[in-house]
Amino acid sequence: MSNDNQMNADVHQILDGERAEDGDTHAQAAAAQFQNAVDGYAAGLNVPGREVDWAVMKVIRARQGKMRSFGWWSWLVQPRMVQLRPALAAAAVLTAVGLGVSLRQATLSNVPGVTDETPVVLVRFELPAPGAQRVSLAGSFNGWNPLEHRMAVSPATGLWTITLPLPSGEHQYLFVVDGEQWVPDPLAHAQVDDGFGTTNSVIVVGPRGVVRS
Amino acid sequence: MKERASLSDGAAVERVLAGDTECYGVLVERYRSRYARYAASLCGDADAAADALQEAFVRAFDSLTTCRDPNKFGSWFARILTNQCHNMRTRTRTHVALDELDVAGSDGADAQLTSDEIGNAIGKALEALTREQREAFVLKHIEGYSYAEMADILDAEVDALKMRVYRAREVVKEQLRDFA
Repeated sequence: MSNDNQMNADVHQILDGERAEDGDTHAQAAAAQFQNAVDGYAAGLNVPGREVDWAVMKVIRARQGKMRSFGWWSWLVQPRMVQLRPALAAAAVLTAVGLGVSLRQATLSNVPGVTDETPVVLVRFELPAPGAQRVSLAGSFNGWNPLEHRMAVSPATGLWTITLPLPSGEHQYLFVVDGEQWVPDPLAHAQVDDGFGTTNSVIVVGPRGVVRS
Repeated sequence: MKERASLSDGAAVERVLAGDTECYGVLVERYRSRYARYAASLCGDADAAADALQEAFVRAFDSLTTCRDPNKFGSWFARILTNQCHNMRTRTRTHVALDELDVAGSDGADAQLTSDEIGNAIGKALEALTREQREAFVLKHIEGYSYAEMADILDAEVDALKMRVYRAREVVKEQLRDFA
């Protein structure tokens, strides 16, 4: 089973911290050399910095802003700590199941224009950014998640594009350049303040196509 | 902000759940700096690690109510991050078989490796590990965690983790043939 390239069992034990220094200098030197090599690899790694913090808080603030606009609905979807007794929890589950069925029936049959097959329109987004390494699209349609819709680039023109199926209605969005810069669409018809000092671009989609962009 | 920065994990989580969303920034800064190297090691590059960290923090925020012990937010977050790193790696890479790697050069076992070559060899060896071996090796040898701490993060038995690290070391050693 063993061969010349296998690590001595003593070296494994030293690396696991299970073997005290006992004079086996060869094994100790081998263990130190191994760990030094790994340390050298780790020291050379490029690691993400503060741009991650900013991007995370941007997404969360955007979501919070959207929840505020939903009014009382935000009470239902905002994270909060709750405590339920088992009996109450069972009653709550049964109530929720019944309510869910009722709401679904109301949604699908009683609201004009809303069906299981709500029409969508294919919308193409474009951003000229020849110097960018990666660009994605974040907006109200994907929970402001900058990882969900990555755009493709034409190397010849530096034009980043993506085509998405969007339902009718108003959607807000931004381009995310290199994971850290949130950029409004320079070609958008309308821009709105998101309440946190940033401007969002707006697109309005109708049943037959883009109404305003 | 200074007052927020001194909060314990548990206190910060409670404030976020009470509606102080900005307090989440304290946890983000604290654990981004702690786990950035871990993410980069698992993902293989800084861009993928940044994406994994971002996705993990947003997911953690969305499911913060399921963090049973807010004082252990770090371990709980590390589990989410580990999964995100593996997902990110799956999206961006294909598994590399060890025998496809060419990092030790053609001069054989006696060749002396430069520090760049050593780093390259270890990076390629990490790619050849299974996800379980990779996360265990990184936590043990790059992050310097104890097996007990690793067990908490990876939700695995200490003996199983020792075996994963053992096997991972053998793979890395295979790439660093002039080490004993």
